[in-house]
Amino acid sequence: MRLIPKDVESLWTLFTAPTIWALHFLVCYVTAAVFCAKAGAPPFSFEAMRLALCAVTLVALSGIVLSAYLAWRQWGFGSGDPPHDEPTRKDRLLFQGFATLLLAGLSFVAVIFVAVPLAFIEACQP
Amino acid sequence: MTGTVETELSADARKAQEAELREVWRTPSGWCYWTSVNNTEIGLWYGAAAFIFMLFAGVLALLVRVQLAVPGNDFLSADMFNQAFTLHGTVMMFLFAVPIFEAVAIFLLPSMLGARELPFPRLSAFGFWSFALGGVFVCGSIFFGAAPNTGWFMYPPLATDKEYSGIGADIWLLGLSFIEVASIAAAVELIVGIMKCRAPGMRINMMPLFAWYLLIVAGMILFAFPPLIAGDILFEMERMFDWPFFDAARGGDPLLWQHLFWIFGHPEVYIIFLPAIALMAMIVPTFSQRPIVGYSWIVLAAVGTGFLSFGLWVHHMFTTGLPQISLAFFSAASEAVAIPTGVQIFVFIATMLAGRVIFSVPMLFGAGGLAIFIIGGLTGVMVALVPFDWQAHDTYFIVAHLHYVLIGGMLFPIVAGIYYYYPLLDARKLSDRLGKIAFWLMFVGFNVAFFPMHLAGLRGMPRRVFTYPADIGWDWFNLISTIGAFIFASGVALVVIDVLRPKHRQPKGEQNPWNSGTLEWISEPEEKWGVRSIPIIRSRYPIWDQRGLIEDIKAGRFYLPDAKDGARETLVTSVLDAEPIQCLRVGGTSLLTILAAFSLGGVFIALTFHWWITTIVCASATLAAIVAWLWTGTAVIPREEMRDVGLGKTLPLYTSGPGSVGWWAMFITMAGDGTAYASLMFGYFFYWTIHEDFTAGHAGPGVLWPFTAAGLFTLAWAAMLVAQWVNEADWRGLTRLALAVAVLLTLAACCAGLAGPYLTGMDPTVHVYPAIVWVVALWTVVHGGVGIIMQLYCLARNLAGRMSARHDMDLRNVVLYWHFLVITAITSFGVLGLFPGLR
Amino acid sequence: MPLSGCTGVQSALDPAGEEAAAIYRLLLVMVVGGTLIWCAVVGLLLHASQRRNAPWSERTAGRLIVWGGVAFPLVVLLALLAYAVWLMPSIRPWLARHAPAPETIEVTGEQFWWRIRYPARDGLPAFETANELRLLVGERVAFSLKAADVIHSFWIPVLGGKMDMIPGRTNTLSLSPTKTGIFRAPCTEFCGTSHTLMAFSVIVMEPADYIAWRRAQAAGDVPGGGEGEQLFARHGCAGCHGVRGVTGPATLGPDLTFFGQRQTVGAGTLANTKENVARFIRDPAAWKPGAKMPAFDMLPSKDIAAISDYLVGLK
Repeated sequence: MRLIPKDVESLWTLFTAPTIWALHFLVCYVTAAVFCAKAGAPPFSFEAMRLALCAVTLVALSGIVLSAYLAWRQWGFGSGDPPHDEPTRKDRLLFQGFATLLLAGLSFVAVIFVAVPLAFIEACQP
Repeated sequence: MTGTVETELSADARKAQEAELREVWRTPSGWCYWTSVNNTEIGLWYGAAAFIFMLFAGVLALLVRVQLAVPGNDFLSADMFNQAFTLHGTVMMFLFAVPIFEAVAIFLLPSMLGARELPFPRLSAFGFWSFALGGVFVCGSIFFGAAPNTGWFMYPPLATDKEYSGIGADIWLLGLSFIEVASIAAAVELIVGIMKCRAPGMRINMMPLFAWYLLIVAGMILFAFPPLIAGDILFEMERMFDWPFFDAARGGDPLLWQHLFWIFGHPEVYIIFLPAIALMAMIVPTFSQRPIVGYSWIVLAAVGTGFLSFGLWVHHMFTTGLPQISLAFFSAASEAVAIPTGVQIFVFIATMLAGRVIFSVPMLFGAGGLAIFIIGGLTGVMVALVPFDWQAHDTYFIVAHLHYVLIGGMLFPIVAGIYYYYPLLDARKLSDRLGKIAFWLMFVGFNVAFFPMHLAGLRGMPRRVFTYPADIGWDWFNLISTIGAFIFASGVALVVIDVLRPKHRQPKGEQNPWNSGTLEWISEPEEKWGVRSIPIIRSRYPIWDQRGLIEDIKAGRFYLPDAKDGARETLVTSVLDAEPIQCLRVGGTSLLTILAAFSLGGVFIALTFHWWITTIVCASATLAAIVAWLWTGTAVIPREEMRDVGLGKTLPLYTSGPGSVGWWAMFITMAGDGTAYASLMFGYFFYWTIHEDFTAGHAGPGVLWPFTAAGLFTLAWAAMLVAQWVNEADWRGLTRLALAVAVLLTLAACCAGLAGPYLTGMDPTVHVYPAIVWVVALWTVVHGGVGIIMQLYCLARNLAGRMSARHDMDLRNVVLYWHFLVITAITSFGVLGLFPGLR
Repeated sequence: MPLSGCTGVQSALDPAGEEAAAIYRLLLVMVVGGTLIWCAVVGLLLHASQRRNAPWSERTAGRLIVWGGVAFPLVVLLALLAYAVWLMPSIRPWLARHAPAPETIEVTGEQFWWRIRYPARDGLPAFETANELRLLVGERVAFSLKAADVIHSFWIPVLGGKMDMIPGRTNTLSLSPTKTGIFRAPCTEFCGTSHTLMAFSVIVMEPADYIAWRRAQAAGDVPGGGEGEQLFARHGCAGCHGVRGVTGPATLGPDLTFFGQRQTVGAGTLANTKENVARFIRDPAAWKPGAKMPAFDMLPSKDIAAISDYLVGLK
């Protein structure tokens, strides 16, 4: 049996990239917060945590690039220009592709923003 | 479009159809007027109530400003001042900013989407009455000197100190929880409405931008409000029963409340801001006389903002001493959210540049609002940077910033919306002259009032002070601010006068006075049916692009031009391509919704005063009203299976499972419910992170009983699956048996769930560990209790012959509830049983 | 209400410490940039509001969204974010790695005053004082911040940003004063009825003065046996307020050693004059609503006057 109806499933693709951003953000925040809260006897150093989070960032970015590629394909590799406002199934798909591509772009940038602290901050101190 | 119409009805037949429709959609007269559930009435009442609350909170703000006009003033006592600013913030946020958008959405969306109604009109009515009652309760408290006085953010331990906060904190917690229920109800209604009730042909690339925004905002409500409800539960448990969630002496932590409050509080800002921008997205194209440039960009901005806004909450907590690395993550997300916001502003500017702008009063308010909002956005970028926030936090700089954002980004667009949409109410425009005067009063008054606050804040003036010393350099700033506040208020008063002044001497205007392109302008103020017939949409701006659309709609040449069976009907369409799939019968005028809302209000009010018996009586009445409402008004088996909706199309009248709107509503409600649950579990793990040993040596619930409970809940869930399966096979007796077994299993599961903490003697008042274990167990068991009610309801429906193999909507919705419940139960009892041993 | 503000500057725009100066520079950058951006965008908005005969093409308008709405903000925000995140550890350095380790003063927020504990240093013993903080110019100092009842927030605007004081938690903040002077510092987290009237004075001093002050503080006042001193003990003042060297230790209320040196009475409520001290003793809640100290209006006026004389004379 299906929990999510099929026609909604394809709407989810719109949210893939922002969801990756959200997961990346949560992983970064939760890891750092738990690490610093439990800093009494850390099993690994802050440096190691930063490196691990950098790796997570790379994974997230590649996920977003992948989703962007799929969106680009759905958008027909940029063959048609917006506004995609014809009352056809094709234009609806192109619109979804384009909107998904834009969101992937925003998510990519937002992941990079969230990774900036990893470059500058070297300890748990408040 | 007339090509698809085969036969033209005679004028008489058309008149007969109109009479039918008019009768079905008639608003009751006399006292019964208030039992109406029609979206135009509910929207109007909702909006009017929210506006009245806004004026009330505005008066409070003026009192605050008078007190601060000169140093050392004693116009208000310290305590009255504290009540006034707390209530000002609370009312503006909870009783104006969020509800006004729900009001606008309920009023506009059906006609904008080409629907007759939203799918659950009675739910809208229930939401409105809950809101009105809760609002009066919260606002009224100040006349008894019993208003909340701890700031709208209610930080414990100040707000858990009964000696200081008195009954005010309970009024805040319970009154607002009640209103939050109404907001979530509205969110469910709007999501289902936007996804499932659009006119045929209105694919998702055709949706009006307002609907896109509202869809995102309703989704945000669903994930933002539940954490606050979870926080409210913890808070009220501490105040009522002394469970020490926020009491540091017994292992609690005041910061948990701050997290839960701001996980709600920051998305809230965007929940307020996006709908106002959505109004702008309707107004700007009209007055630029062209379609919006960058439709997809707006969708990007709305969705992007919706997501990013959940990664900002700690920027309200930059000074709480969290590690710099945590602060920096949130600072980064707070900067990133400026990008989609900038996109929206530039989309409007680009649309204006590419069009031929007519600069009317709505545009004046819109553009003025943008100019103000941009300052708020820029100061927002500033305070989102951690170092600057360390200085600016909790000073008047923030007061200035948030008012620039909310008044520029929300109030000005709302007034623009009032001037723009007023003809939909009355077929007349508001006065251009008064509008322009009001605008300049508001614009100048606003800047005079709030700009100096930036400087006062930087020069060290903290927020929430009831007075200040004379020789510290803030006198002039404050005096100017107070003068500005009164100029601003006079502008708002002028808007109110313009709306309320009698206009019967002014002739009624045309239906679409601004020559807009979107569908809401087809609705006629005198007719309650929404649209005469449900059109086929082929454009983002159908009135501009589809020739003869209005005449065809009015002539009933589209879907559902009649109301043969005397029922209120609208179309359900598919999510992406809006193909018609069902003819939905929606609830009509009813007293039950008012009864349900008022008895639920009784529960919350009685709890505030600890009247336990009244609470129980009201709770029973609520349950009875809701069951009666569901029993008589939902999942009704139609006399005929199919309905000829016109244009040669025949659609089913009854669907169940994922095809039905009820299933969607359950899914969405449970997503919100799951978020509240996740917030409670966040609390559990939060205590684990802050303590070396979060059990503090207290015995846990053991492993045996939690596992028994989880196992029994799983069996009950399996029994529900069996019930659904045998019901589909039309074995009535077996269905009853399966349901009865499920009831017994659930009952046993609930007992086992409570047995763990009870038998190990966990005392929730001693330490936070037993308290959080009890809360998680109780949450799950209460959901089990609701599950039992649902099972019994299905059993009764089956016995009463209101459910069959084909008509199994109730059962399927309940099984969906059980999917969520079994996940909750396994998580709860798995964590309670195993985690203390694992860590 | 004769509130006292003559206790020094309370402005983030007059930095007298490293952190405040760095943030002030950040503020200047942002104000200049923000003004330019606002003028540009609102100028564009006004231009767009004009009715024109040749509207832009959709393509050109779309390009405006890409460059103005995406590319430009992206670059500016990323640069600003990097600047600010880089600034964080540089203005609040890792204390564990800071050499020499700064001295840590413990400050506890209570409704509605500040308890201040200086640690032992260079042969000078530790001592407690209240509502007035004295710091050494040019030396980084750390604060261990606690709360006794509800959340308060510690903020010395001229020196740097704020840090909350949260029950059950101990927060650390370090500041580095660069100029001598008298400054004012308010509580910045709403903490109850008299949140407004909870401030302390900060006096940044030259090394010689500072050492002398600490030496005197640690030693305490010299008992003189005057009338005020006796009344202070007889009427029970000493039950809550300690005067080091004269009374026994008392910790319920603010310590009053060398009270006469302080700028204000009632944690920033009134200027420290004989009349104000008498007024405050007679009915604290009249000046500071919600204050925990009971009213002493049943005492004879001359007793109150004598006690006030005595307190103001503790220099």
